Amino acid sequence: MAKVKDTSISSRIFDVMIWLVMAFMLIICVVPFVYMIALSLSSAKAIINGKVSFWPVELNLEAYSKIFTYPNFFRAYGNTIFYTVVGTAIALVMTILFAYPLSKSYLKGHGFFTKVVIFSMYFSGGLIPNYLLISSIGLTGTRWAIILPFAISQFNLIILINFFKALPTEIEEAALIDGIGYFGILPRIILPLSTAAIATIGLYYAVFFWNDWFNGLIYLNTPQYPVMLFLRNIVNGTMVVGNASSASADTAMLGISTKSAVIITSTLPIIILYPFLQKYFVKGLTVGSVKG
Amino acid sequence: MKKASIIVLVLLGTVAMLFAQAAKEQAVSEVPVEFSMYYSDNATLPFKDSWLTVQETAKIANATVHYEAIPIADYSTKVSLALNTQTNAPDVILYQTTAGENQSLALNGAIVPISDYSEWTPNFNAMVEKYNMQSDINKIRLGDGKYYYLPSLTDVPFYDGGIILRQDYLEKKGLAAPKTYDDLYKILKAYKADNPTSYPLTILAGPRVLYRMTMPAFGVSLGRNGSGGSRVLSWDYEKLEFFEGAISEEFKAYISFFAKLYKEGLLDPEMAEPIDGGTWSRKMATGASMATWAYYDQIGGVTAASEIEGFKLQMYPALEGPAGAHHQQKNRLGSGIMFPTKTTKRSDFEQIVRAVDKMFFSEECSKIWCIGVKGVTYTEENGKIKYSDEIMNASEGIYKYMQLAYGCGSDVTQMVWVNAREMTKYDENYAAINAAVEAIGDVIQYIPPTPKFDDLKAEEAGMLLTPLADKFEVWCDAFLTGKKSIDKDWDTYVKEMKSIGIEKFCTLYNANL
Amino acid sequence: MIFKEKRNETLQIRLRSPLQRHLFRYWQLYLMMILPFFYFILFKYIPMFGNILAFRRYRPGLGPFGTEWVGLRYFKMFFKDPAFWRAFRNTLTLSVLNIVFTFPLPIIFAIMLNELRSRNFKKIVQTISYMPRFISTVVVIAILSEILSPSSGLLNRFLVDVMHKTPTYFMNDPQYFRPIYIFSGAWQFTGWTAIIYLASITGINSELYEAAEIDGANRFQQIWNVTLPSILPTIMVMLILEVGRLLSLGFEKVLLMYTPANSEVSDIIDTLVYRTGLANQNYSYATAIGLFSGIIGLILVSSANRISRSLTGDGIY
Repeated sequence: MAKVKDTSISSRIFDVMIWLVMAFMLIICVVPFVYMIALSLSSAKAIINGKVSFWPVELNLEAYSKIFTYPNFFRAYGNTIFYTVVGTAIALVMTILFAYPLSKSYLKGHGFFTKVVIFSMYFSGGLIPNYLLISSIGLTGTRWAIILPFAISQFNLIILINFFKALPTEIEEAALIDGIGYFGILPRIILPLSTAAIATIGLYYAVFFWNDWFNGLIYLNTPQYPVMLFLRNIVNGTMVVGNASSASADTAMLGISTKSAVIITSTLPIIILYPFLQKYFVKGLTVGSVKG
Repeated sequence: MKKASIIVLVLLGTVAMLFAQAAKEQAVSEVPVEFSMYYSDNATLPFKDSWLTVQETAKIANATVHYEAIPIADYSTKVSLALNTQTNAPDVILYQTTAGENQSLALNGAIVPISDYSEWTPNFNAMVEKYNMQSDINKIRLGDGKYYYLPSLTDVPFYDGGIILRQDYLEKKGLAAPKTYDDLYKILKAYKADNPTSYPLTILAGPRVLYRMTMPAFGVSLGRNGSGGSRVLSWDYEKLEFFEGAISEEFKAYISFFAKLYKEGLLDPEMAEPIDGGTWSRKMATGASMATWAYYDQIGGVTAASEIEGFKLQMYPALEGPAGAHHQQKNRLGSGIMFPTKTTKRSDFEQIVRAVDKMFFSEECSKIWCIGVKGVTYTEENGKIKYSDEIMNASEGIYKYMQLAYGCGSDVTQMVWVNAREMTKYDENYAAINAAVEAIGDVIQYIPPTPKFDDLKAEEAGMLLTPLADKFEVWCDAFLTGKKSIDKDWDTYVKEMKSIGIEKFCTLYNANL
Repeated sequence: MIFKEKRNETLQIRLRSPLQRHLFRYWQLYLMMILPFFYFILFKYIPMFGNILAFRRYRPGLGPFGTEWVGLRYFKMFFKDPAFWRAFRNTLTLSVLNIVFTFPLPIIFAIMLNELRSRNFKKIVQTISYMPRFISTVVVIAILSEILSPSSGLLNRFLVDVMHKTPTYFMNDPQYFRPIYIFSGAWQFTGWTAIIYLASITGINSELYEAAEIDGANRFQQIWNVTLPSILPTIMVMLILEVGRLLSLGFEKVLLMYTPANSEVSDIIDTLVYRTGLANQNYSYATAIGLFSGIIGLILVSSANRISRSLTGDGIY
């Protein structure tokens, strides 16, 4: 929003303040990553002796080569990308299809449908009933088992409804008079107006599918496992298993450099996604431009 | 719009390809017996289908086995779901016992009582007989007199972890190897005097390793990770019954000893959170600590990394406490192989059981799981095993290398552990320590028996247990760190534990032995 | 076009009843809802029958819906349990503090980000600030333990060397449990949650700012009079959702931070359920507590919604 032409002193001070706060934010958010990248590239010996801070010591790629040689690592990575892309696409379609009608409070049954959504946020069935349902409709062991049941998140749905509600209604009414039905209005008018909102929930869905390991674990077979399941096992395997009193659990230590490499490899692709979406946050069409 | 349709097309194409792939994967080759099997996969030893052990044993049993490698952190969830629902359950499950939920599942018919099919497990029976384990097997029989899994068998339990000290420090100061807890105290004291900022004794993975390795020497076994699942009870090895260990004089003596170490700055105060391997290694390697309870395999990495001159870690036999020299309790039976009830519906159920029995318990296969294939990994001369040069020269050590390269010596798949054979995979030092431990005698006691609860009793016990275990943990920590005085507050503690039913809990356990 | 309109009119006249007219006008919207609605019934409502376990005894291996009716047995069990009420209080305290301290942060952050003049700097901050979201909880706790370690942690070294104080074992001290929980949460999620507000700010009509500027409003006044009111509906929706989740903090992070020493403040409902219900395989007990939390959550969300509607005229339904 390049609207600020104010160059007064108070405005300048304001700028400096914001700049400082943002710089602080930047530092506290980036430091752990720098540290982990340094750890992942350092030798085990340097780490044990406490020599590594923000720069790799005794640079080597052993940690990464270790991860990449895990059996089926790349297949699992491919799986995750598939789940993220397809899952997000389906989830976006389903959510938009529900959010748009629900943003129209004049629809009959509007209150009922909204309550159906909200009620379901508070009462889930629990693990075993969900498992039995997914099995009985034949999804277990197929890739759809971790996509279809998660096609709508109530949270994202409510956010999107709220965005749709805020859109101006004049254009829509004009379109209706022009004889364009809602099927036409949704893709041609509503969606272009809400790219920022859709990018937001799209990102939220993508991250959900990217990070989801639990459903992959319970519904899928080994060749279909998402990469997060492996990575989780590497990062917190020992902590979770710690409840057992077996030696193998407590001796199962992986170097901290491997753990760091795991975190870097598993988060980088999804982090890179965000800058590509940012244009929607900057360019978001304003009402004025559509009106014209 | 065009872009969107291209994306959709690409997606559809991907989906179609994946389905085609899946179909191909399901194509089966025609072999006598074929079954699926859950395998608990550890990140430090990732499962490989191509392992020599996996290939050879399947060949010998004439079986096609679909190993489902499931991450260990979530293994119990996956198994629990499979057994609870019996939908999509595998034919065979590795690495299981009938403790906890499985006991109820077994009694309610979700698990095959494998003792009913004893004639199909001749190899298992032979091994049990060979190592004289009939009485151990009786311990895993549930209330109905049946056992529900084929456990792994160990002839003599190993001393695989214990008190580890800086040998170079002892030598430099002319100190003798510790025999008792008092000896240890003196050593720690000396180190503290030399290095005032250090905490000589540190722990691994929270206090759990410390507690379970040291408590038996004081006559108790308690806490979240104590052997056996009672947490607040301990086993009386003479009377053969449980007693209220958490409020016993034995525990009072135990906690007094460690509270003294804590107070004098000899015990690392950073013990509440799970200290992970990295932190632990750093403390040891840099001399911030010089003593710990941990596992033998962990010594090597620390020694290699330390920059202190002459740095040497050594594991010592169990120290003697008020109750004698005892280490963490262990059984001769370990986790083993289980069959979900669903498998009995298969017409070739007998063949599956027979194949599993052969694959894991036959003389031939159990040897493969331990030391690999003759002529490939080792040669044998006059009964002496000689490993291939590749193995002998591996930098990780024989044991670790054989695990990673061949899948040997994994506690998931190796079902027969013969101490003498195991020792061939370790250095002489380890064998010497184990021999010393065996010479002391009765260092490793058996794990207290699991009471034979049905699910209703188990619920009752569980309801009593959680608050008891919670309270015990809080007080244990408070006593240790000096927040509560053992002299003044002990009676209050005992009263509180009694008020929430520790006696009732103990009675419940003893009544269901 | 006029012709088309006319035809519509004549059609509408023919449809006598208001319902018919309503359906004729909006049938496309109803059609859109069919698939998502079916989804809700299938994937969210059918499994809900599982909640019957709260009133029936679950016995492993004997069917998913329990074996016999036990009425309110499991509810009585936790209602009578002092540990439950302690966990209930801890959960509420932690949640309320969490909302008070962390809820405004993403809003302030999004607004400030929007005021940045340099577009590149803005992009960088935006991307970096969202990164902590991807560090798994286990690692966050490990990093915290490292920074706060009494022997080697940065903070304690500062306290000891510069301030000449004795080192504090922050992770094990009940007094610091809540601050650590809240600050680490703020660190992890501020940038992430701010995305919603950024999207909301994007939708503000720039004419509003121009008008404000002509009226002589300074930048702070513009924020106060234009930006905030424009994103208020989004803020309210987020707040209502947040209030509805007061009882469900999620157990992973607390479980990792839980030590016997800080248990008096760190034991929350989710960790209690984990220990009592799931670890002992008492699914019925866990279900009963889940049902109770659900009811409380529903009450909270509907009250929050009602209050919001009366104050701002907006709510989530």
